[in-house]
Amino acid sequence: MNNTAIQTDNLVKTIPQAGRELQILRGVSLTIDSGESVAITGLSGSGKSTLLGLLAGLDLPTSGSVKLFGQALDGLDEDQRAALRLGRVGFVFQSFHLLENLTALENVMLPLELGTQTGDYTVLATQALQRVGLAERLGHFPNQLSGGEQQRVALARAFVTRPQILFADEPTGNLDRATGNEIIALLFALQEKLQTTLVLVTHDETLAARCQTHYRLVEGALA
Amino acid sequence: MNLLFKHWQQRWRMPELRLLLLALIVSVSVVTAVGFFTSRVENAMQAQARQLLGGDLVLTSARPLDATYLQRAKALGLETAETISFPSMASRGDKLQLTQLKAASNTYPLRGDLKTAATPDAPSLLANGQFPARGEIWAEARLFTELAAKVGDAVNLGRSTFTLARVLTEEPDRSSNMFQLAPVVLMNMDDLQATELLSPASRARFNQLFAGKAAVIQQFQKAIEPQLKPTERVRTLDEDLASVQETLQRATRFLGLAALLSVVLAGAAVVLTSASLMRRELPAVAVLKAMGMSRRQVLLDHAFSLLLTALLAAAIGVAVGFVLQFALAEWLSQLVGKALPAPSLLPLLSGVLTAVVLLLGFALPQLLRLVNTSPMQILQGALQRPQQSLLWVGASLLLAVFGLLWLQARDWQLAGMLLLGLIVGTVLFWGLATAALRLVQALSKRVGGGWLPSLGRSRRAVLLVVVFATGLFALLLLTTVRTDLLNRWAETLPADAPDHFLINIQPAEAAPLQAFFKPHGVELNLYPMIRGRLVEINGKPVRVDDYENPRAQRLLEREFNLSSFAEFPVSNVLLEGQWFAGATQGLSIEQEIGAMLQFGMGDKLTFDVAGQRFSDTVTSVREVRWDSMQPNFFVIAAPNSMTQMPQTLITSVHFGEKKALVTELIQQFPSITAIDVGAVVTQIRSLVEQVSFAVQGIFVFTLIAGVVVLIAALQSQKAERRRELAILKSLGAGRALLQRRIWSEFLLLGALAGALAGLLALTAGNVLAYYLFDLGISLNIVPLVVSSLIGSVLVGVAGYWNLRGLLQVLPLSLLKS
Repeated sequence: MNNTAIQTDNLVKTIPQAGRELQILRGVSLTIDSGESVAITGLSGSGKSTLLGLLAGLDLPTSGSVKLFGQALDGLDEDQRAALRLGRVGFVFQSFHLLENLTALENVMLPLELGTQTGDYTVLATQALQRVGLAERLGHFPNQLSGGEQQRVALARAFVTRPQILFADEPTGNLDRATGNEIIALLFALQEKLQTTLVLVTHDETLAARCQTHYRLVEGALA
Repeated sequence: MNLLFKHWQQRWRMPELRLLLLALIVSVSVVTAVGFFTSRVENAMQAQARQLLGGDLVLTSARPLDATYLQRAKALGLETAETISFPSMASRGDKLQLTQLKAASNTYPLRGDLKTAATPDAPSLLANGQFPARGEIWAEARLFTELAAKVGDAVNLGRSTFTLARVLTEEPDRSSNMFQLAPVVLMNMDDLQATELLSPASRARFNQLFAGKAAVIQQFQKAIEPQLKPTERVRTLDEDLASVQETLQRATRFLGLAALLSVVLAGAAVVLTSASLMRRELPAVAVLKAMGMSRRQVLLDHAFSLLLTALLAAAIGVAVGFVLQFALAEWLSQLVGKALPAPSLLPLLSGVLTAVVLLLGFALPQLLRLVNTSPMQILQGALQRPQQSLLWVGASLLLAVFGLLWLQARDWQLAGMLLLGLIVGTVLFWGLATAALRLVQALSKRVGGGWLPSLGRSRRAVLLVVVFATGLFALLLLTTVRTDLLNRWAETLPADAPDHFLINIQPAEAAPLQAFFKPHGVELNLYPMIRGRLVEINGKPVRVDDYENPRAQRLLEREFNLSSFAEFPVSNVLLEGQWFAGATQGLSIEQEIGAMLQFGMGDKLTFDVAGQRFSDTVTSVREVRWDSMQPNFFVIAAPNSMTQMPQTLITSVHFGEKKALVTELIQQFPSITAIDVGAVVTQIRSLVEQVSFAVQGIFVFTLIAGVVVLIAALQSQKAERRRELAILKSLGAGRALLQRRIWSEFLLLGALAGALAGLLALTAGNVLAYYLFDLGISLNIVPLVVSSLIGSVLVGVAGYWNLRGLLQVLPLSLLKS
């Protein structure tokens, strides 16, 4: 079995801005093993989110290569990259990004419905919400939930397919410290239990310290 | 499939999708209601027209018609009848009278009814299948007067003697022969031969009438048309009933226009709603794509949702439309005392098509842009709308609008013109709204209007003004169209519109005739009527064979009604050249006949008038309103230029309830023929009433559509407003201040929109009146004032009502969501 979840080689990302090329990432090479927890930290504008997007195959690098689950992403189109993620990758975002018109339960069922998972989706999603302590909130809509509760739903949604990799982008950025700590405790507990590879982008050093590996981005390069 | 359906159900929780459905239902309802209703009125008019023809299809010839047509029709299961009419003298004792003899088979008429009376003064009753028995004739009252006969007397026709059995008051195809001079005598076909009146030299008209199912009639017509001899032709409705058809056409255009305004308004709501739907779906699509959803799935998911919404809207809309037209038709049947025939199913199709076209053209391109949403955006905070394919969105929008316009107008040219009008209108509205807001900005800077200057830079404010102005414009246009145009139109056909033509007036009778009417307060406009055949154009002999148009051929075979007088006819419009102001030479021609027979300004026409030749040059071209019920002429010569020609006079009179006066008139002036066109007038008048009523019904839809657009526009800006209010609140703005701000903003925007709409409605109403409905220009500024007030109140209330919920909420929770 391939033990490497993600591997990058000399990743460069430039975007055109005000008539000239702005270099966001300057040759990032890293390897993330299966089951490993990795933190990527850096200041605002250091290229953290861009790197996360490239690792997940949401975007393609200007040069360099990314291998996800051993599969090179360059040469794959958007749909082929999406197919690679389907059911194997989970996401947690800073602003939760729950679908407003869906209940907590329906939000969690979404990734199941997209994929080819077997089993009763309602039961699986209910169990996932129970695991994050929201068994009583199944029928609530996002605007009826607090920020912490919304991020719990997002966690349940991310873990419900038992993904191999979880990408988390500033998961506590919109929460107060106490709630943030609860969410982080939950996140690591689930990651450990399900043996998920965790890629966590944050500017919180104490949070980064809880991960096995810690990369620091300074002006688009690993420090 | 289950999943797609489930997602569709989940989207119902978004107000945008519900608004979308509402907008679609409004469009489909109005399109189908108008479609069904128009179809029923059209069917009713066609049925009436067929009654006037006496059958569904009439074959006519100056020579005996082949019996094979009848056999063929019978084989197809059609009903048939035959008539032969020709002028013939009737005599009783020493009295003689020219009659129009009509011999008919006893199945005549196939459509419509014969009406008779027991004596000339008795009420007219339906014949109910009765027909003159052998040896009997039915004749018009005039024959009784001329021959001093009464019912039961014997009358000689050719070699036979008949009993005058009943007074013939109405037979279906009489109106198609309006200028018939002699009283009609109806006899049984089986008696014709014995009279020995019909010889190969007789100027007879042979008719075969057919009736049956529309499809079979069509099949029959197709089969016989190639076999018709040059003298034989199929008589159609449009040639005989020009005035009714013209009115009907105008009526359906009116309704179509009313429906169109609602559809365009609903279309605006669809565009606005789908734009906000897209904004709302953007993060969802980005998240789903990050999870691994493919572009194909995104496309399928949204296309399915939209299609299902369109079908649901179509189903509900068609049902609503059907019920509504039922109510409309029911009310109408009480009004005109006649049940309308069933509608065709075609409007159902156009209703469904309207929903699909609205969605495909207006909403789908917007939502398809979602497919290109990059999942990366979800990590970058600010979500950008995909910018590409904007051109494509615009193109599909235009195409869809054009499709909708065509669906309503069924005329490429008209649809094109309307599309152009819409584009110009939108640009105009946008430009004027921006200019008006800049003006507010400039003015408020001077007087220190607080936050008002910011309106001048706000695209949101411009959008609101444009949307409200468009909505109000549609409402106003319809109101002005309904009240103003309809009034003006009705004025051209006043309650005292002539109901009788008096013809065959000898010039010597002119003065006594005026004297006859003077006690009744009527002054007659007598026009000379000279019958002439067009023989030369620019010195070149006119030959029937030179023209392919069958109508042109018929016109040349007959004699024209020419006239000569000084005063320009009120119901005409001068298109080219000059009317005879004191001139003693020249001809004024009707536009269509000139186009058909290929002559115009400067051409020299020569007529043969009872053996005398009359030549002159065309000096003006007129457009004639044939439904004016005034005597109208294809060709009018300069005043006094035809005094030497043999002529009679013609006039039209309104008798109204004083029907007895007609009998009195005929007794005093036996040679004058009075033609009752009252039936046609009544028909046209009731049609005007029908239309005005129906437009009122459609007006309700436009109102609903307008409200839907208003809500859609407000809804599309709600998120932005929410943020803005939160910021203002967190900066310390109190409830009262915010309330004042919202009220003043919307009142001002509404007033601006109202003024703009009023101005443009006034302009558009006049343009429409002039070009589409052939009516004159009028300047009525009341709508301008009223619309500013209405706009201000309506928009103020709607805006405040839409945002009032946000005033209660704490700033923190506003920011959070």
